[in-house]
Amino acid sequence: MIHLRRYATLVGFGLILLAFALALPDTFLTAQNLINISQQVSMLAVVAFAMTVVMAMGDFDLSVGAMASLAGVVAASLFAAGFSLPAGLLAGLGTGLLGGLFNGLLVARLGILPFVATLGTLTMFSGAAFMVSDGRTIFGDDIPEAFGAFARGGLPVGGLVLPSLSLLALAALLIVWVLLEHTSYGRRLYAIGGNMEAARLAGVPVRRLRASAFAVTGLGAAVAGLMYASRVASANPTQGDGLMLNAIAAVFLGMTMSEESEPRALATLAGVLMLAVLDNGLTQLAVDSYLRQFLVGAIILAAVASSRIGLSKG
Amino acid sequence: MLLSIRGLDKSFGGTPALSDVALDLRAGEVHALMGENGAGKSTLIRVLAGVSPADRMDARLDGAPLVLGSPADAARAGFRFVHQELNIVPTLSVAENIFLGRSLPRRLGAAVDWRRLNRMAGDALGRFGLSHIDPRQKAGRLGTGDRMLMRLASMLVSGDTEPRLFVMDEPTAALTHAESERLFAVIRDLRARGAAILYVSHRLDEVMALADRVTVLRDGRRVLTAAMAETGRAGIIRAMTGRDVTEAHPRRAAPARAGTVCRLEDVSAGRLSGLSFELGTGEILGVAGLENAGQSDLLHLLLGDGGRISGRAEVADAALPRSPSQAWGRGVAFVPRERRREGLMLGRSIVANTVLPHLGRLSVLGLARKRLETDESRRLAQALRLRHRTLAQPVRELSGGNQQKVVLARATLDAPKLLLLDEPTRGVDVGAREDIYATIRSLAAQGTGILLASTDLPELIGLSDRILILRDGRQVGLVATQGLDPEGLLSLIYGEARGAHE
Ligand SMILES: Nc1ncnc2c1ncn2[C@@H]1O[C@H](COP(=O)(O)OP(=O)(O)OP(=O)(O)O)[C@@H](O)[C@H]1O
Ligand SMILES: [Mg+2]
Repeated sequence: MIHLRRYATLVGFGLILLAFALALPDTFLTAQNLINISQQVSMLAVVAFAMTVVMAMGDFDLSVGAMASLAGVVAASLFAAGFSLPAGLLAGLGTGLLGGLFNGLLVARLGILPFVATLGTLTMFSGAAFMVSDGRTIFGDDIPEAFGAFARGGLPVGGLVLPSLSLLALAALLIVWVLLEHTSYGRRLYAIGGNMEAARLAGVPVRRLRASAFAVTGLGAAVAGLMYASRVASANPTQGDGLMLNAIAAVFLGMTMSEESEPRALATLAGVLMLAVLDNGLTQLAVDSYLRQFLVGAIILAAVASSRIGLSKG
Repeated sequence: MLLSIRGLDKSFGGTPALSDVALDLRAGEVHALMGENGAGKSTLIRVLAGVSPADRMDARLDGAPLVLGSPADAARAGFRFVHQELNIVPTLSVAENIFLGRSLPRRLGAAVDWRRLNRMAGDALGRFGLSHIDPRQKAGRLGTGDRMLMRLASMLVSGDTEPRLFVMDEPTAALTHAESERLFAVIRDLRARGAAILYVSHRLDEVMALADRVTVLRDGRRVLTAAMAETGRAGIIRAMTGRDVTEAHPRRAAPARAGTVCRLEDVSAGRLSGLSFELGTGEILGVAGLENAGQSDLLHLLLGDGGRISGRAEVADAALPRSPSQAWGRGVAFVPRERRREGLMLGRSIVANTVLPHLGRLSVLGLARKRLETDESRRLAQALRLRHRTLAQPVRELSGGNQQKVVLARATLDAPKLLLLDEPTRGVDVGAREDIYATIRSLAAQGTGILLASTDLPELIGLSDRILILRDGRQVGLVATQGLDPEGLLSLIYGEARGAHE
């Protein structure tokens, strides 16, 4: 029963892959296309891995998309003002860390529900991104050549090139996986997600951990924002906004595949890949973008619903 | 025969929890259901309640076939339940909780008649002498005992069908002596009116006094059904465990006090006041009082979870811990009163629940050592005879008493300096209780100072060297247990002038 439930999503995923492979025999299951997919999805992947960290505690962060945009424009504005590449990058990452910490303090210190707190900071970060950039897209000569070149580059393997962005996402996966699965820190986060009061009374420093986990998520969002800016060699105050919903969807999709329906790093990876493949395949099939959106939403709901069947009884 | 069950089978994922169980309940009898932790009592009750239907069962109500496929079936048959795990909706009022799942009294067929609802709830509470509970207050604000009493009261409000069978799964585990007495009076009254009562408890004394007949389960099979009068205490225990258990509280020699683990001088905090005592290494200090007299508050205070204090307090050679995490770090361990709310991550594994406070010690450079975690958990599971399938099993699937053992395993993994126990044997069977007493004593012998809050007076007297008595949060006495009997302790708790007050 449990196995049926866990694998329903994976089986569905397999069927979708098969359908695309049959419908697009020449273009879908090619090494180049798969590499493209991995690059397209790398930003989403980083945000989703970061989101998994707070969701392990049963929390949410709605501000990740806005933070990605903000980190991008902060770095780009510094470039435009003549600061060096490392200075801009550090400022972008620092923004993510501090913004995430701010979320964490709202949630852990003031006890504001994460949904409400990060809805508030979503708006704040978004407003800040507009203020920093004056509402404009920063591009062209303002952006250092090396910054844009990073996303275009990669690691040559055989006849193919593994894109830097994909490798960065892989590194993020590795970090989050080790953090959640193999450290005491991760165990404690899951304990908080299991029963916050019990965890506190068992000596888990709940406030500190919650604040720090939000900081990690903020940092992840900033990394994704910088990756995005590098990829398009420009930054505007809304470019990361779409990441949040998809990241949450990816974690949820992953949870349908994990034991005890918990957010896990590798399960999130599976969720991310599913979204990416769907998007890529439907685009190649020239499915209208609104219909595509509709289908992706329906498939997410179907996966989550199938994982609930049999869960209520027993 | 009111209810007659034959050939009841129930398994979870291929592991049988009940096999070929038979049960007969007569109108006008109190029928005790006994068995060790994990024997299948609660599972049987959930089957009767239609919450978790049987794989196979032949049930007859007044001789007519009965299907128990859903809670509605059980309600229609006139069955009423108080389950082992307290399910309340904290954000609803007491009255609404009492009527939960039943139709509320209405005016003009639509609007809820709040006045009548509150009055009916108040009447039901009144039968337990609970005039201090306002039916309009939020249920979440009630203490543990009051929550249980509220659930018990909810059985009494008449629903759409006349209740004929009342089933109670360890109702007294969370009650004080006086509250239990009131429950027994209500049970006797129900029996006199011709209802059947199926009653689960690990407290043999009350079962012997209350029940007319007894059915004993062992490993999911029925091993005995007999009239209580024909079955001695030893007979029940032997049927439950398959062995002889000596229920003795051997007196310990008073410990040689090498040092102090904890010292309080005129400490007040929140509703606690006038606390002055010293707990020596290797000493077991009992904490007694009426329901909610401040026992739990005192333990939380020493765990660093009590807010600001006045007076001087010292724990484990340092100031009062500022947080539970600091307390555990200094060698303070804690078994909370409500295992499900304050103790366990129900969805997480036995290992994860056991090692949680010790992760720091069990890891290297922050990296978890899973093998070591599992070894430590296995060691404790064996010592406490934890009934489980695998250590990776979520705690939710364990029986109530076995969940309690997990909380105890966590607190005793490292020999702590100070061990805070709040009702440590709640819901634990006779045999396991002796194991736990042995563990507590051996920790004390190794120098752990132990603070033991318990409403089980023989347990308190049997284990403690001295007993601290609280009334309304105030320390009103500190007595040696030498020569104290339960009646004497009870009169001290109620405040009749006797004993050595400080
Ligand atoms: N949902 C479940 N999934 C798997 N196993 C279960 C589940 N519920 C109960 N069990 C198993 O069934 C057995 C009987 O459990 P049950 O709760 O009926 O015991 P009990 O007699 O009520 O014990 P206690 O005195 O500790 O409350 C136990 O071994 C328990 O682990
Ligand atoms: Mg039980």
